[in-house]
Amino acid sequence: MNRKLFLHLLISILSVIAFVGIWHLFTAVLRVVSVNTLPDPMKVFTSFIKKFSNPNPDGATLLQHTAASLQVALTGYFYALIIGIPLGIMMAWNKYIDRFVRPLFDLLKPIPGVAWIPLMIVIFGLGIASKAAVVFFSAVVPCVLNSYTGIKQTKDVHLWVARTFGASHHQKLFTIAIPTALPHILTGVRVALGAAWVAIVAAELLGATRGLGFMIQQSRGIYRTDIIIVGMLAIGICGGILTSILTIISNFLLKGRR
Amino acid sequence: MRVDSTGSVDTVISCQRVSKEFSSKRGTTKVIENISLEVKRNEFVVLFGPGQCGKTTLMNVLSGLDTATSGTVYSLGEKVVRPGAERGVVFQSMALFPWLTVRGNVAYGPKARGFEKSVWIEKSDYYINLVGLKGFEDSYINKLSGGMKQRVGIARAYCNEPEVLFMDEPFSALDAQTRYLMQEEIMRIWSTEKRTIVFITNNIEEAVYVADRIILLTNCPAKIKKEYHIDLPRPRDYTSPEFLSLRDEISKNMDRTL
Amino acid sequence: MRKILQRMAQNSMYAIISIVSFLLLWAIGVQLSDIKIVMPGPWEVIIDFVDSFIHPVGRYTMPVHILYSLMRVVPAYIVGSVVGITLGILMGWYRPINSIFRPIYELIRPIPPIAWIPISIVWFGIGEGSKWFLIFLAAFVPVTLNSISGARSVDPLLIKCGEMLGASKKHMFRTIVLPFSVPYIFSGLQVGLAGSWATVVAAEMIRSTEGVGWIIISSMDTNDVAQSLVGIMGIGIVGFLLATIMRNVEDRLCAWTVREV
Ligand SMILES: Nc1ncnc2c1ncn2[C@@H]1O[C@H](COP(=O)(O)OP(=O)(O)O)[C@@H](O)[C@H]1O
Ligand SMILES: [Mg+2]
Repeated sequence: MNRKLFLHLLISILSVIAFVGIWHLFTAVLRVVSVNTLPDPMKVFTSFIKKFSNPNPDGATLLQHTAASLQVALTGYFYALIIGIPLGIMMAWNKYIDRFVRPLFDLLKPIPGVAWIPLMIVIFGLGIASKAAVVFFSAVVPCVLNSYTGIKQTKDVHLWVARTFGASHHQKLFTIAIPTALPHILTGVRVALGAAWVAIVAAELLGATRGLGFMIQQSRGIYRTDIIIVGMLAIGICGGILTSILTIISNFLLKGRR
Repeated sequence: MRVDSTGSVDTVISCQRVSKEFSSKRGTTKVIENISLEVKRNEFVVLFGPGQCGKTTLMNVLSGLDTATSGTVYSLGEKVVRPGAERGVVFQSMALFPWLTVRGNVAYGPKARGFEKSVWIEKSDYYINLVGLKGFEDSYINKLSGGMKQRVGIARAYCNEPEVLFMDEPFSALDAQTRYLMQEEIMRIWSTEKRTIVFITNNIEEAVYVADRIILLTNCPAKIKKEYHIDLPRPRDYTSPEFLSLRDEISKNMDRTL
Repeated sequence: MRKILQRMAQNSMYAIISIVSFLLLWAIGVQLSDIKIVMPGPWEVIIDFVDSFIHPVGRYTMPVHILYSLMRVVPAYIVGSVVGITLGILMGWYRPINSIFRPIYELIRPIPPIAWIPISIVWFGIGEGSKWFLIFLAAFVPVTLNSISGARSVDPLLIKCGEMLGASKKHMFRTIVLPFSVPYIFSGLQVGLAGSWATVVAAEMIRSTEGVGWIIISSMDTNDVAQSLVGIMGIGIVGFLLATIMRNVEDRLCAWTVREV
């Protein structure tokens, strides 16, 4: 059993080595691909390390760009959570709110967050607020959707039991429906974070003076593909870390269920 | 369909000193201890024991779905090491293929083994008819009631024309009324299409109603406690004095568990 | 039956009330505040939207822009999905294949397709090539992920059942693993489709001369907010139609599943 696991690990390691090896072969050794198209892996690695302290060519270090992206993304995300989750819960819990809000929500749902950028710039100007608003639009949809489905999972029997104990409508919501919905709500919280992260990158690609999206867009103009790839890796790593943090938190909150 | 060769009493399934242990991090648990038994051709053997005593585990070992820790299982004189078409199984949880129709499920075995279309159509027709599902050939499984689903399970196992059929508490998920009906049905099917059947149950009435021979198992780890040959004439009457006295005697010898 | 019709009529009535009051709120809000200098009212936008089907926005009318965008999405989406399904199922079912491709896949997975835009322009230029590449990624990543989890979740009892019935490994792959994964694959296809649509909009906003994303971004140069909203309407409607078509295909192909409400 353990030997098998080891074997698979070995295959994985060999596969990564082969991947990097082929990349190295075509770029650094055979030079069939120019540096302007794809730098060799060593160069990407050194650029990654250097970018932590070197603000050139785009005016800020990697961490400064990351912090700038995170700040805007988390702002929009925060508003998406505090508006989206209660809205989803209320829509599922109150049929009048549902009837009134859902058609609008269904109408706006299929519009990708990036599409709002020009409008948001008109309303909020070129600063942080318009980007945060775009993030908000991207992140609020999964918050609402998942909270809504979560509350709808509530079992009628549980509500009947609550009624026999004389629970009020409010008590039923807070002691039965919301606990039932918690796993779904947390899924929404996680999906929304991913959506927020994508949205901020998109917004920065289109116009910004800081941030990872800005960094890769700038580097494209001057053919610094090494910095583009560094930026992409940073975006991926950051997104991965954010999601893992939320996974850990939600596992902790759901401890003891199944 | 298949003609019983001479009616001679040769052995279809036998096992010698079979034991089965499950080991986990918390230690090993012995589930089957030293069981030896023989099943003759066209015999209806019931493995009878309390819940969680190891019946399913024993059936898995006998049918090749699982391997014994020690001891050997023979099927027609050959060692059993893996599941195979000569040992059909009707699962407690039915395990039907929901993406296939009744016909697709019943014909699965012959199709998988490469029979021509005309052959598997003919075979599946015959067995769908035999279990009383004529007219439901093109229904999907999810549309059927519990009793009908288990009929599909029985037809699917039968249609592969195995040497021996294992049935693991096939009626335990059904309501009491349907269960009685299915007990009669299985006797009708078996008398039309004589097969060797190893039938598992924890219901004493069911055991006495269907069995040629009842093998009484002890509580976990399962050992053979006693064997009963039931020669009451068929169809049996649940309320006849002979039936009731047999039922009482076996009940008295059965291990009690909570 | 009557009841269902009645419910439907009632629901659409609520929908109309809800949307009309939203539009009214918008109209009044615009009228009462300073924003009316830049922000058009709903009526104006709706007229512009209808007009965009007759008179071109930029070089083309709305349907042509939509067609341009769809021509970028559809072929790449199909290729990405086919590759994703194949690779995902194989990775989910055969451990060695998983071991080979997993590390590289995990490297690509967290990078959103949108973040590939700059490098794809470097690699494939500003034409269709870079957009196809991006859409390919937008479809491939989620479809692969869901196909893996589909093949992973195959009920082991059903596999035992197949062995018991005498099926070979290859036969079981085709008749058990694959159909079992279909619902999972479809949820990946849905996610991938929405992602592809969002990605093409972003890609067109960054570099293009036509397409629905272009309608929005070019409105910034002319300060024409109504045009931006017309673009948003087009994007929303097509996005909605794509998702609906996909759901109908799924319902056809997965007639055997009982969909949970
Ligand atoms: N795969 C397994 N791993 C560990 N323990 C098992 C496993 N399968 C069964 N057992 C244990 O063996 C005992 C007998 O199980 P089973 O054969 O299913 O009983 P029965 O079918 O008679 O109800 C149970 O206590 C169960 O917990
Ligand atoms: Mg059992």
